[in-house]
Amino acid sequence: MAEESVLTDEFVRQLIYVGEADILIGVPTYNNAETVGQVVQTIRAGLLKYFPRERAVIVNADGGSRDQTPDLVRGASISDAQRSADFQALRTLHCISAEYPGEPSTGTALRTILASAELLRASACAVVSPESTSIEPEWIERLLRPVFQGNFDFITPLYRRHKFDGLLMRNLVYPMTRAFYGKRVKEPYAAEFSFSGALGNHFLAQEIWTHEAGRTGTEISLTISAITGGFRLAQSFLGVKPHVDARSADLIAAMRQTVGALFWSLEPNFSLWSSNHDSQSIPTLNAGEEVTLEPLRINRKRLLGIFHSGVAELEPVLKQILSPPTLSELQRIAALAEDDFSYADDLWARTVYEFAASYHKSVISRDHIIQALAPLYRGRAFTFLVENREASADELQQNVENFCLTCERLKPSLVELWNGRK
Amino acid sequence: MSGGAYARKTASIILCEIDLTKTGNGEKSALPLPQDALWYKDAVIYQVHVRTFFDTNADGIGDFRGLAQKLDYLQELGINALWLMPFFPSPLRDDGYDIADYTSVHPNYGNLDDFKVFLQAAHERGIRVIVEMVLNHTSDQHPWFQESRSSRDNPRRDWYVWSDSDTKYHGVRIIFVDTELSNWAWDPVSKSYYWHRFFSHQPDLNYDNPAVREEMWKVMQFWLDLGVDGFRLDAVPYLVEREGTSCENLPETHAVLTELRAKLDKFYPGKMLLAEANQWPADLRAYFGDGDEFHMAFHFPLMPRMFMGLKLEDRKPITEILKQTPQIPPLCQWCLFLRNHDELTLEMVTDMERDYMYDQYARDRHMRINVGIRRRLAPLLDNDRRRIELMNGLLMSLPGTPIIYYGDEIGMGDNIFLGDRNGVRTPMQWEGGWNGGFSTADPESLYSPLMLNPVYGYQAVNVQAQKRFDHSLLSWMKRIIKVRKSTPVFGQGSIEFLYPANHRILAYVRQSEKETILAVNNLSNSAQAVELDLRRFKGNILIEMFGRNIFPRIGDLPYLLTMGAYQFYWFRLRRI
Repeated sequence: MAEESVLTDEFVRQLIYVGEADILIGVPTYNNAETVGQVVQTIRAGLLKYFPRERAVIVNADGGSRDQTPDLVRGASISDAQRSADFQALRTLHCISAEYPGEPSTGTALRTILASAELLRASACAVVSPESTSIEPEWIERLLRPVFQGNFDFITPLYRRHKFDGLLMRNLVYPMTRAFYGKRVKEPYAAEFSFSGALGNHFLAQEIWTHEAGRTGTEISLTISAITGGFRLAQSFLGVKPHVDARSADLIAAMRQTVGALFWSLEPNFSLWSSNHDSQSIPTLNAGEEVTLEPLRINRKRLLGIFHSGVAELEPVLKQILSPPTLSELQRIAALAEDDFSYADDLWARTVYEFAASYHKSVISRDHIIQALAPLYRGRAFTFLVENREASADELQQNVENFCLTCERLKPSLVELWNGRK
Repeated sequence: MSGGAYARKTASIILCEIDLTKTGNGEKSALPLPQDALWYKDAVIYQVHVRTFFDTNADGIGDFRGLAQKLDYLQELGINALWLMPFFPSPLRDDGYDIADYTSVHPNYGNLDDFKVFLQAAHERGIRVIVEMVLNHTSDQHPWFQESRSSRDNPRRDWYVWSDSDTKYHGVRIIFVDTELSNWAWDPVSKSYYWHRFFSHQPDLNYDNPAVREEMWKVMQFWLDLGVDGFRLDAVPYLVEREGTSCENLPETHAVLTELRAKLDKFYPGKMLLAEANQWPADLRAYFGDGDEFHMAFHFPLMPRMFMGLKLEDRKPITEILKQTPQIPPLCQWCLFLRNHDELTLEMVTDMERDYMYDQYARDRHMRINVGIRRRLAPLLDNDRRRIELMNGLLMSLPGTPIIYYGDEIGMGDNIFLGDRNGVRTPMQWEGGWNGGFSTADPESLYSPLMLNPVYGYQAVNVQAQKRFDHSLLSWMKRIIKVRKSTPVFGQGSIEFLYPANHRILAYVRQSEKETILAVNNLSNSAQAVELDLRRFKGNILIEMFGRNIFPRIGDLPYLLTMGAYQFYWFRLRRI
């Protein structure tokens, strides 16, 4: 039986009327009425300011919002059917909305956006989070211009974050992606990014859509696809990314979407990552200050508590995943007093690699493997917070860089584990 | 002016004997055409300069006898009104818009008798004649100005706008920015400044002076008595000046025009006034008054937006400017055009739109002049027949009276290296032989070089060649004019835009009490599907007006049309 299309007939009808587009901006949503209006109005302002002559469309892929989200997106349209003329805009701007079938999913949303881009033959596309209320019109320029000019195929963002924001990114996703695939993409799993039509089409044709892990972590899969496909990458500084309080439930989901997808990608790309021994930087555009240092309250005790209970309660699981020396070392540090606790770079890198190998061998349910990593990550996050409590922006960046180098140095151990019996 | 040029005219042209009738002034007038008070609404106007059309006396310059000889061609084309650009005695430093004698014919083009013969012949073919009249200014060679400058005590001193300083009316914009630095020019004869909104050799008349107003009315009477059907009044926003204003569109200017119109209606009913006022629609509206000022006015802001819409493949610029266009009195009419003798003016667009137009249509700096683009229709559209047809389709079906610029009906090109706007004023191309059939003079003596290049030159683009084929642009133009004239709806009907979701489709309904026509235009260079909400016309069948083929009956569902690149349809709706 043919696979069900993510595009409804009604949405295809809307695409017909959009026709060909030079620029497409996708906004994946699900009940984002509180913020999406401001975001799409800013996108619109960015398009009018920086791409007034280009044929642009904003495509909202919605997971079945029960609030006014799709209406708010459509309301940003510029059309002659509106009551008053808009002489500030040369052209019609279509803002269309599609409710894709199935459960809300960033993967299905991105697939809808990619499919739209292919049908509209968009040459430059961007995805913007409906929650990015700090967005400025300049983001649109910074994301799209390098792609639209044909200089790059994939632009990931750089944000100005608090030094304790993006802990998962700094302690796991960035260093590991860099170690595996040899490119220093600081935000491989981003809420905002842009890509060329060629990369979009390449990614749409990948197998990932039929796999749960692929569908779950499409953003990082796109980054990996861009690297492995030999596309031209750059990162562009956008601006401030506000601090978001992450709840524990969100961490598991985030781990699935990032670490899960990253581990899953190792299977088909073994020959590539196993032969990489170092990493290369990618061009940075519109460079800006990436770290802010204002005071921020974080409950470190809670992180350490979850680590302790995880190591204790998950011992049977961890025994199947980790090597005895690593597990033993974890148990040792778990017994340390808070002031003495340190989950060092070496141990954390080794832990992650052993999880990756176990994931590859499916020693237990892969999803359980990902979930089991979560409490250990909290221990690592605790160490990161403590060690960088007084760090300047440069020191923090250097510490992250040191960890990345550790990951690259220890990567041969993963290759050994990969091919070993256990 | 010397009569020498005309004295050289020796060719004998035999025209039919004409019947002249006496007027009250003792002048002989051509027989009037049948009374039709709204003739200008149903007209298809052809704009031509006598000089450019056909030379009968081998002096290299077109003349009235030549124009008369070519009236059969124009009748066959289907136009029913001619707008003649200035043909009066003039130093010709601004293509005749610098008039030195308002009641005569420049000897290059013949004499008054030739004009009368021409006028009669045009009327015999059902073609009305609209004459250019430059009210705002004269040539500095005009005897009035010579008298005015001769001394401060001269009775005609106050016929022009003089000042001892050049600071009066400070801040008024300069129109010819490429050549003029000020609206004031120093006159060394009378040692004072005179006001000019255009070239410095074109001093503005002083319309605060009743004697000037009376004299200009007499000028108009002169031509009306000969039988002309209307005037295209040049540069009307600038007639009166007032301190602290833009000196444009002033109430005092409107008062002058209303006074002229009242006299016209009283003494010459059925004659028409057409305003040249390059203004925004809201400012243009005032030139219709309460139906007591102009009958027609050019819709300047629409024209560049038609080109913009085509390049953007988006109807927005067109529909939005028409939405901004105010209602005009029932007996008034807009004049629409694609190109004319001037640059494609970009004064009535935003800065962003102007930049876009320059980048898209005038990348070569030679193509630009003043605030516009000096190119003809065919080169502007890359000689793309489909786009030329589409633009003419819009011209003929949007609300207003269409004007075709001479030569555009065969797709003539331009020569952007000729200076000023002369590149769009080259001789009409009649055939592929000597001088393109325009003149038997030596090519070197023509008033302007002919187009010679292999794409647009007279050997490639000419009337004779295009007459041979049904699929030529000329033949197509004849067809579309015929279809346009088959119904008064295009000239007089209302318009209502449909707003299909496909923004590349410009669709509108033209409607009168008796008839409904649907026009659908694909502005895109690719095939398009469009669904039109025509439910209120449910039960009608569509009849395509060119081929007269029947399209499916309108039902409850959106009416689906598929359209080729740049294709357009005109449908007559019939409830049968």
